[in-house]
Amino acid sequence: MTDFNAMTDEDFRAEVRRFVEDEYPAHLRNPPHRLHWQEGEEWFRIVQKKGWVAPGWPRELGGMGLDASKQIILIEEYERHGVARLPDHGVIMLGPLLIRFGTEAQRARFLPRILSGEDVWCQGYSEPGAGSDLASLRTEAVLEGEDYIVNGQKIWTTLATDANWIFCLVRTDRSARKQEGISFLLIDMKSPGVTVRPIINLGLHDEFCEVFFDNVRVPRENLVGEPNRGWSMAKALLGFERIFLGSPRQSAYALARLRMLAERMGVSEEPDFQERYTRLRCDLEDHKALYETFVAVLRRGESLGADVSMLKLHQSDLFQRITELMLEIGGENAGLLKPMEGNRDLHPAGQFIEARPTTIYGGSSEIQRGILAKAVLELPG
Amino acid sequence: MSAMLQDEREDAIRMIRDSAAGIAPRGGDRRRVRALRFQAPGFDPAVWRQMGELGWIGLRVPEGQGGAGLGMGAFCALAEELGAALAPEPLVQGALSARLLAALGATAPLGRLIAGESLVLTAWQERANSLDVPGTPEAPRLFLPMAEGAQSFLVPVRAGDSCSLLLQTAEGAALALEPTQDGGSFGTLRPHGGERLGTVSTAQMEEALEEAALGTAALLLGVMEQAFAMTLDYLRTRQQFGKPIGSFQALQHRAADLKVQIALSRASIEAAAALCDRAAIPAAQRRAAIARAKARAADAALLVTRQAVQLHGGIGYTDEADIGLYLRRAMVLANQFGTAALHRRRFAAAQPEAEA
Repeated sequence: MTDFNAMTDEDFRAEVRRFVEDEYPAHLRNPPHRLHWQEGEEWFRIVQKKGWVAPGWPRELGGMGLDASKQIILIEEYERHGVARLPDHGVIMLGPLLIRFGTEAQRARFLPRILSGEDVWCQGYSEPGAGSDLASLRTEAVLEGEDYIVNGQKIWTTLATDANWIFCLVRTDRSARKQEGISFLLIDMKSPGVTVRPIINLGLHDEFCEVFFDNVRVPRENLVGEPNRGWSMAKALLGFERIFLGSPRQSAYALARLRMLAERMGVSEEPDFQERYTRLRCDLEDHKALYETFVAVLRRGESLGADVSMLKLHQSDLFQRITELMLEIGGENAGLLKPMEGNRDLHPAGQFIEARPTTIYGGSSEIQRGILAKAVLELPG
Repeated sequence: MSAMLQDEREDAIRMIRDSAAGIAPRGGDRRRVRALRFQAPGFDPAVWRQMGELGWIGLRVPEGQGGAGLGMGAFCALAEELGAALAPEPLVQGALSARLLAALGATAPLGRLIAGESLVLTAWQERANSLDVPGTPEAPRLFLPMAEGAQSFLVPVRAGDSCSLLLQTAEGAALALEPTQDGGSFGTLRPHGGERLGTVSTAQMEEALEEAALGTAALLLGVMEQAFAMTLDYLRTRQQFGKPIGSFQALQHRAADLKVQIALSRASIEAAAALCDRAAIPAAQRRAAIARAKARAADAALLVTRQAVQLHGGIGYTDEADIGLYLRRAMVLANQFGTAALHRRRFAAAQPEAEA
């Protein structure tokens, strides 16, 4: 098996580029919404055949064993080509967690099924009463003999309709301080008492769901790590992936569409548009420069600090400002439900709506500012 | 760049920061700054000489000509430190002249300048908000900072693709002065000939002015960094309603937004400097990177220093509070070597659309 880390960055980049250019299905490039498993499965099978399902996992567990720097190259090339993100919570979140905190039996049972696509995982963290204040979550797991009995509700569960397993943060000790009574539990979604209800979002897409647990029986061996240690485990997994929420990709893609729209609307040479467009271009280029400084930290083998919040905060703001200008120059077309003239590149309303949740998910902009203020600027509580 | 050259470059940048801390510490003695402001010539010639002895004025001049032969990465690091210290000595302008004198091979005036024994100002500017070099020898040259302290002026005159450079002594020069917000001054010079030293290409002239613009962006980075650090201190200590005002979310979030702008400025400036330090970079690419960095730094420095005054409340509006010194410096530096708007237009003209 290839030791990708031994390749030069240039060679590896060329290999990834060749792979997506030769094999990525053209009709799946830059999809306007998150793909459902069925929509993207064709691509998953191609990746699986290549053996590239899990870039960050060690090779002995079926991963590519890429170091952080090579993983970034892989993702950069995927983004450049407009490769869609598949339901990947198993690969990105659960896999690394089991590798680090799971038992041998848990690894042997779950990891191969992620690689084969047999199991599709979703993430059960947020609840109706626990969004930004995640640690106040109330879904409860009570031990009864050899099983936990789970009751409660999760929300904003991305692509839960596609998943057959869900990993959850659940409360196992009501008396402890709120972060200390939380455990990490793996739940088979076919268990009696699990109900999934899709939520239609502003983009009129059923990307996320509510998941209800009504006396769901979960075997004790599905608890990962020690009981009541789930919070710190989940936090420890907030690794270098945080950088990707700040990737310039969304903004770069949107800015190119803004340009196309301006040309179509005949405003691209107007001084007012030029001035505002150039500002956005400068913002994007400066964002890329800032992004590169964080990539450089990872290349040196160091881990990211809390200041990585700046990337997500700025990227999402920039993405929104680009789409706001689209809405403005699109005129009446900005009210259209579908792309203009059937051209997916000319869809100001669609891009505008797509930009809305970026300042909410993955820690809202307000949460990111709070993190920066406290953890980076050391302002008082 | 090879890993070894990369390491050497980073070492040089670290060393220059350390050496800057020696005579112009960040957040150091602002009594010096206050004592010099609104007094001719607006800076301390003894400190200028010290800067010469440390090799700062000739930092970019090749070693064979008595300089340090360092890159823009080191120069920007130095400028940042001097910006943070509010040092009034016109290092960016001195370095611009040194660069041009070196290009001309004008050994004697170059030697005195980079030793800090004299100040040579390049009188290149004919109009406000412009980076164009005038084509008329007698056009008045504007906005010469600290001109009262200069021993001579280097006057470029453009003719097509080349620029003649005339060296004119300050003695007997027709010089009019106007004080600036930061306690220095702008001089207007009516050129009267002088010694013709030779010519440089217009491209060389433009490159030198662009480097000065980037150096100014780095000064602004230092100004905003230090103003922000002082503001954070204030937010942590100032008590109202029984708690430090920095615990209020509205102020925390504003501070976070300022931090993002400072980080973008730094990333943009350091990337532009690194680009300048690479061999054989197309002029348009370098210009686009510098233009972007200067535009960002100008806007961000004014934003941060304005907010710094606001977050200090009433005391921030007094002349006694040092935070105002940073706002005044930013007001002067922000538009030197081109405003943000000018640089954004230069960026748009220089950098073709990216594919996406």
